[in-house]
Amino acid sequence: MISHLLCVLLLLVFYVLQTTIFSQTKLLSGTADIILLFLAAWSLQEQIKNSWFCIIAAGLLVSSISAMPYFAPLISYLGVVLISKALQRRIWRTPLLAMFLVVLLGTFFQHGVYVLVLQITRAPITWRESLDHVILPSALLNLIFALPAYAIVKDLAGRISPLEVEV
Amino acid sequence: MKFLNSKNIQTIVIFVIISGVLFLALSGYLTPVFNLSVNPLISLQSWLSVRYISIRDLLTTPRDMTVLREQNAILESQLTQLQTQLIVMEERLGEAQVCFALLDFGRTNPQYNYIAATVIGREISPFLQYIIIDRGTNHGVFYGMPVVTQQGLVGQVDAVIAGAARVKLITDSTSVVNIRLKSAGIEAQLVGSLTGDVSLDMIPLDVFVEPGDVVLTSGLGGNFPSNLFVGQVLSIQRRENALFQTASVQPIVDFESINAVLVVSDFEFVDITSLIPERGQ
Repeated sequence: MISHLLCVLLLLVFYVLQTTIFSQTKLLSGTADIILLFLAAWSLQEQIKNSWFCIIAAGLLVSSISAMPYFAPLISYLGVVLISKALQRRIWRTPLLAMFLVVLLGTFFQHGVYVLVLQITRAPITWRESLDHVILPSALLNLIFALPAYAIVKDLAGRISPLEVEV
Repeated sequence: MKFLNSKNIQTIVIFVIISGVLFLALSGYLTPVFNLSVNPLISLQSWLSVRYISIRDLLTTPRDMTVLREQNAILESQLTQLQTQLIVMEERLGEAQVCFALLDFGRTNPQYNYIAATVIGREISPFLQYIIIDRGTNHGVFYGMPVVTQQGLVGQVDAVIAGAARVKLITDSTSVVNIRLKSAGIEAQLVGSLTGDVSLDMIPLDVFVEPGDVVLTSGLGGNFPSNLFVGQVLSIQRRENALFQTASVQPIVDFESINAVLVVSDFEFVDITSLIPERGQ
């Protein structure tokens, strides 16, 4: 329960930071998505058993203010967490490497979904232009911010539910 | 001869000696003698005075340093407060300048009523060009209202809630604005792009367009009022076998640094999307 409350609180904080600061910090046309970074780091924490509530909350929150079709952010965040869970089982000894991989793959998945949805809604967007101007710069920015985001989330998750050590 | 006794003679001699010494002193004959006797005294006085001042300084300086440090700390604190006040005043001045500029725009375009709004956020997805403003239905903002700044056209209200609204910028890739080229006197379409650049489309081939031509809204389509300043033509692209020529446009509004906007509240938006035939029909 506490972890859910903390998750919602952090989501609101990251949402405000995203819309006010990070959406205006551009590299070409790409921007960092710190909500995605938060979800990736949150779902990689061993002590967080159930992160689905957080994903749905994030998806609904972003859908409510974004001009994207409402299901697109939800799908993209679900994909990010699925990637995170899949990698967590394989690279559990090196969480930082897992974080970087989740962020990289998650960014590509998220933007792939966005481009696909926009093309379906007849926006004049091409894959080549999207890759050059948005996806690759966004991936780079996300990788830059991945480490501090992971450190913050790991610290907070450790405070609310410390890992049990077997003696 | 009782007057010339030994006592009186002694008094007279002393008087004569004193008178002589005074006479010699006043006439300046005794100056070298005085110098010889006074100079050692002055030297001694100077030596003693210097030592006294040094010792006094040695004893009193720490107290002065403490006082000076306290005064310095107070002055630094006052300086910090003044600098903070200066920053606040500069921010207020900037806001006031924006407000004055918007007010000027309202005065020069009195045919419409305006609602001033502050930009409080931007679209999360980098594929879309939207801003979020702090005025909603509670303040009289509704779907479809045009949004401008003192410089020119910004976009259109795309979604609205009680206390905020989302504005689609003219730089968005799905945005289409019907415009009029002032010099050429023709109408065309201004379209946005993924990168935030805007360009003109549907310019007939037989029309001569020059860089620097002013781009104004035409009012066609019922989306925007007419004669709102949009930008200037940067360059023209004419391709062989193309039905129309295109042109790059430099928007007059700096979309990266919009802080405040005006919503045109009494413009009647006409939604003609249902009248536009779908593809394949």
